[in-house]
Amino acid sequence: MKDIGHIEIQRVCLGYKSVLDTKTVIQDLSLTLDAGSFTSFIGASGCGKSTLLNAIGGHYKPLSGSIILDGVEITTPGADLGIVFQQHTLFPWKTVKENVRFGPMRRGAGRAAADKLADEYIDLVGLSGYESYYPKMLSGGMQHRAEIARALANKPAVLLMDEPFGALDAQMRASLQDSLSSIWENTHVTIVFVTHDVNEAIRLSQRVVIISRRSGSISAIIETNRDHDEPIEQYMQSRRTQELKKRCLEMLSA
Amino acid sequence: MIASDRKQDRKTRERDKYAKKKSSLANRYGLDYMIRFLFIGRRSVRAFIIPLLSIVLGLLVWQWLTQTHADVILDFSNIPSPLHVYKSFLNVVVTKAYWKDIYWSLYRIALAFTIGSIVGVSIGVALGYSTVLRLIVAQYIEIMRPIPAIAWVPMAILLWPTTEQSIVFITFLGAVFPIVLNTWDGVKRVPVELVKAARSLGANRISVLFHVVVPYAIPNITVGMALGMGAAWFALLAGEMISGRYGIGYFTWESYQLIQYGNIIVGMLTIGILSSITSGAIYLLKRKIVPWSE
Repeated sequence: MKDIGHIEIQRVCLGYKSVLDTKTVIQDLSLTLDAGSFTSFIGASGCGKSTLLNAIGGHYKPLSGSIILDGVEITTPGADLGIVFQQHTLFPWKTVKENVRFGPMRRGAGRAAADKLADEYIDLVGLSGYESYYPKMLSGGMQHRAEIARALANKPAVLLMDEPFGALDAQMRASLQDSLSSIWENTHVTIVFVTHDVNEAIRLSQRVVIISRRSGSISAIIETNRDHDEPIEQYMQSRRTQELKKRCLEMLSA
Repeated sequence: MIASDRKQDRKTRERDKYAKKKSSLANRYGLDYMIRFLFIGRRSVRAFIIPLLSIVLGLLVWQWLTQTHADVILDFSNIPSPLHVYKSFLNVVVTKAYWKDIYWSLYRIALAFTIGSIVGVSIGVALGYSTVLRLIVAQYIEIMRPIPAIAWVPMAILLWPTTEQSIVFITFLGAVFPIVLNTWDGVKRVPVELVKAARSLGANRISVLFHVVVPYAIPNITVGMALGMGAAWFALLAGEMISGRYGIGYFTWESYQLIQYGNIIVGMLTIGILSSITSGAIYLLKRKIVPWSE
């Protein structure tokens, strides 16, 4: 386990302020995310999980409360907080390799070093051979893998993912989920994963945090306690997992 | 077939098409391109013969109208015939003055368009970034933009110390408005997720401007520049005809005053060719810089 990427969310309120009134989406939410952990946020649409993710990423200023990364408050986005969206955000005018080396180069690495880093992460996500392809030539799943490589090439402390596999079909999603799991096991970056799919949350994460739309804060935290030596399909079919799924669904509709 | 398979097929076909296009152009560039150009798109004899016959017929009609001094609504009695134009062209193309005029027009276009592009892109980007600037500047643009270049000529002559400067100024005004508006539009359209992704990769605001916003807006910027080039020519000719000393516009107007009517048409065609070449150069530049936006 790494010892960076420890996040403390302290009594955070998130919402939209207009001239007339303030609409709060997240009320007084506190949560600790350990370094190297894999946490999922699930909840009904509109419960604020994406807003919370963006706030952790520094793209969103909390109305009150604070979010602390490794002892420093998060106020702006930065390379420590890599983010992968559901929409494709690869730069369309750059090839895969140019995209992946964008982060390191913007931060001052030389071209040779950045190239080497890019090659390493392109290989890690399984896109070797596609380095000089433009994003529009790649399928949706490949684009997502390139985005993950691009975020990871910066060696961020945290990887934030906002329903990244939502628009993909089941086969592609399963394959990317497995890729993500193995990437996490290799790098142990702290991952915060927003999804509305309970199966996905249980399959991937150590902890599932259920955010309630009504109260705007956490309604439950469920530990999956997954034994990583157990094969994934067996784990997903086991009684324990079915119980977990039932509990999650109950809490979601509560 | 599942959705993913269909998508894969399409992506594979697109990829193959792209690969094939690259290799075919590389291998058969000269011959392929020439045939396509001559046959105007389709490789059929009909598509080549009919346009050719149409031009020949048009020239014959023109020759007939001018030879018989036709005067029905339009008065052709003073219009030069095609043969006369051709002879004038041969006479004028060997003079130094003709080429000097072309040089002067191209020089003014180059200068005014370059300044117009720099100023236009800068203002366009600034308007896209800053709401305050937009509130200050946008209404000036709306007021000045509809004024055609010709209407600026007296004003420009008064404002600028030399005639030459006033002509370049008028040409600049022609170029700058399309460039500002299209650049601004391009900057406005940058998806916010792209900017967020770049910031989360460690790029600071200046990096985002030069490495995300401007590259994304380049297709819009080049459209603005192509429109600006056309508008610049229009403005240039207005300036040259009314107040110029050299230039192809001046040449055309002077031919009328010196009763060398054949040269009027020579001038018109020269302007058309120069304008096409410069506009084409912009589009070529766009295709080189923006290969992904086909």
